[in-house]
Amino acid sequence: MTMATALEPQFQKWHSRTSSSAGVLAALMGDSRRLFAHQFFVMADSYFHSGFYPSIFDSKKPGEELDLKEESHQKQEGTKQHEEETSFLGAPKDLFDRFGRNFYPTTHTHLHGGNEREMLPWLKLSAELDPHEIDPYLAASYWLRTSLNNPGEAERFLREGLDANPDSFEILLELGRINFYNRKNSRVARNIFELALKKWHHREAAGGKPDPIVCAEILGEIVRTDREQGNLKQQLADMEELLKVAPGKGSLQSQIDELKAKLAESQTNH
Amino acid sequence: MSSVTSRNPDANNVFAIAGVVIKEMYRRKDFYVLFALIVVITLILGSVSFFNDDRIVRYVKDGCLLLIWLCSLVIAITTAARQIPAERESRTIYPLLAKPVGRGEFVAGKFLGCWLACGVSLLAFYFFFGLIAASREHTLPFLAYFQAIWLHWMCLSIVVALVILGSVVFTAPSSNATISFIVVLGIMFAGGHLNGIAIQMRGFSGGLVYGIYYALPHLEWYDVRELIIHNWGSIDWLAWGGASIYAILYSGMLLACAWMVFRRRTFVL
Repeated sequence: MTMATALEPQFQKWHSRTSSSAGVLAALMGDSRRLFAHQFFVMADSYFHSGFYPSIFDSKKPGEELDLKEESHQKQEGTKQHEEETSFLGAPKDLFDRFGRNFYPTTHTHLHGGNEREMLPWLKLSAELDPHEIDPYLAASYWLRTSLNNPGEAERFLREGLDANPDSFEILLELGRINFYNRKNSRVARNIFELALKKWHHREAAGGKPDPIVCAEILGEIVRTDREQGNLKQQLADMEELLKVAPGKGSLQSQIDELKAKLAESQTNH
Repeated sequence: MSSVTSRNPDANNVFAIAGVVIKEMYRRKDFYVLFALIVVITLILGSVSFFNDDRIVRYVKDGCLLLIWLCSLVIAITTAARQIPAERESRTIYPLLAKPVGRGEFVAGKFLGCWLACGVSLLAFYFFFGLIAASREHTLPFLAYFQAIWLHWMCLSIVVALVILGSVVFTAPSSNATISFIVVLGIMFAGGHLNGIAIQMRGFSGGLVYGIYYALPHLEWYDVRELIIHNWGSIDWLAWGGASIYAILYSGMLLACAWMVFRRRTFVL
C-alpha cells in the first residue's frame, strides 16, 4: 500500500510523457526529429517540382517561401517573381556545367493531374516527426481535397493535426473548406470558420501576432457561406469586418455598396 | 595451331583474368546479401500505405535507386580493392606474372573482371527495380532505363579504375576502400558545385579550386536518378554518348596510371 502510494505519482508522470502523439520516433530521435521533419517537407517541395530543386550549394533569397507552402495557402504571386525565385541555376558557368545539365531536371514544373499524390509520403513523414508544424497538414489536405478528390483522408489528417495543435486556426480554416467545398455543408463550415476566427483573435489578444492575411481568408470564407445560405444581413456585416483586414479593398467596397443597395431595395419592397 | 593461339594472346590473358574475377564474385556472398537487402527494404517501403492510395510510387523508386547506387558502389569498391592485394597475400601473383602475362594485361584483366561483375550486378538490381516500378506505374520507359543503367555502368568503370589505382598505391585494401568511398561520395555530392564555389573565391585559390573541378571525374553526370524517379523521359543521345566517351577516356587514364605505378613495383617472396 505504501509502495503504491509512493509510486503512483511517478507512474502518472511517466504515462503522460509516453502518451504523446509523436510516439516511437520521438523517443528515438529526440529534438533532432524537427530537423528531419523540415527536411522531409523540403523533399515534398522537391517532388512538387519533379526534382528541379536547388541544392544546399545553390543560393536562395532570404524570406523566400517554399512553393508548396504558397500553393496550399492559395497565395498568388506574379509570374515574374515566380520566375526570379526559380532561376537558381542561372546561366551555365562553363562547358562542363552546360554539359552536366543534360543529366538532371532543369525545367520548372509543378505536379498536376493527380500526380500530386507523390508528395504525400513526405508530408505524412514530416507531420509524424514534428506534429506541431502545421504546414505539412495544410499542404497535404489542400492537395487531397482539390486535385486528388479525397476529402475523407484530408479531414482525417487534419483532425490528427488538430489533436496536436488544438489552437491552430489555419487547420480549422482548412477543415472548414472541406466541409464547404467538398461536403457542401455551409452550416457546419460556417461554425468551423467562426471557431477559427475566434482562435485567431485569441492569439492576437495574447500578443502572438498572427498573420492578418489568414484572418482575411477566414472572413472571406465566412462571407461565402453567408452568400450560400442567402443570409444577406449577416453577409453585409461580415463583409464590413473583412474590409478592415482585406489587402485589396477596391472591389470589396463596391460589392458592399451593391449589397447595401440590394438590402435597401428588399426592405422597400417589403 | 601456335599461330591461332598467338594471334590474340594479350586479349586471351585479359579475358582469362577477368573470368576469374567474375567467378569469384558469384561465389562470394556480397552480391547476394546486398541484393537481398535491396529487395527487402524496397518491399517494406512499398508495403506502407499513405492515405489509402496505392498508386504512389516515386518514393519507392527513390528508395530503391538509392539502395542500388549504394550497393553497386560497395560491390565495385570492395571487389576492386581486394584484387591485387589478395593476389599478393596469397602469393598467386608470382606464378601469374611469371607466365607471359604482362603487368598491363594483369591490371586490364582485373579491371575488366570487376567492371563486368558490376555490370552483372546492375542488371540484376535494375531488373528488380523495373519490376517494382512497372507493377505500380503499369508502364516501362525502356529507353530511359537503358540509358540510366548504361550511365551507371560507365560511372562504375571510373570508380573501379580509381580503386585499382588506389590498390597499387595504398598497402592495405581497407584503407584503399575507405578512401575511395569518401572520395567517390564526395565527388558525387559536391564535385559538380566546385565551379560555383571557385567563382566566389578570389585569386589563386579560386583558380586552384576551378582546376580541381576540371580535373576530378564528374561522376555526378551519371547519377540520373531524378530523371528516372520523376519520369522526365530519355536523355539526349549525343549527351549520353559524350558521357560514355568521357568515362572510357577517364578510366583509361586511371588504368594507365595504375599500370605505370604497378610496373615499377617489385615483389619479393
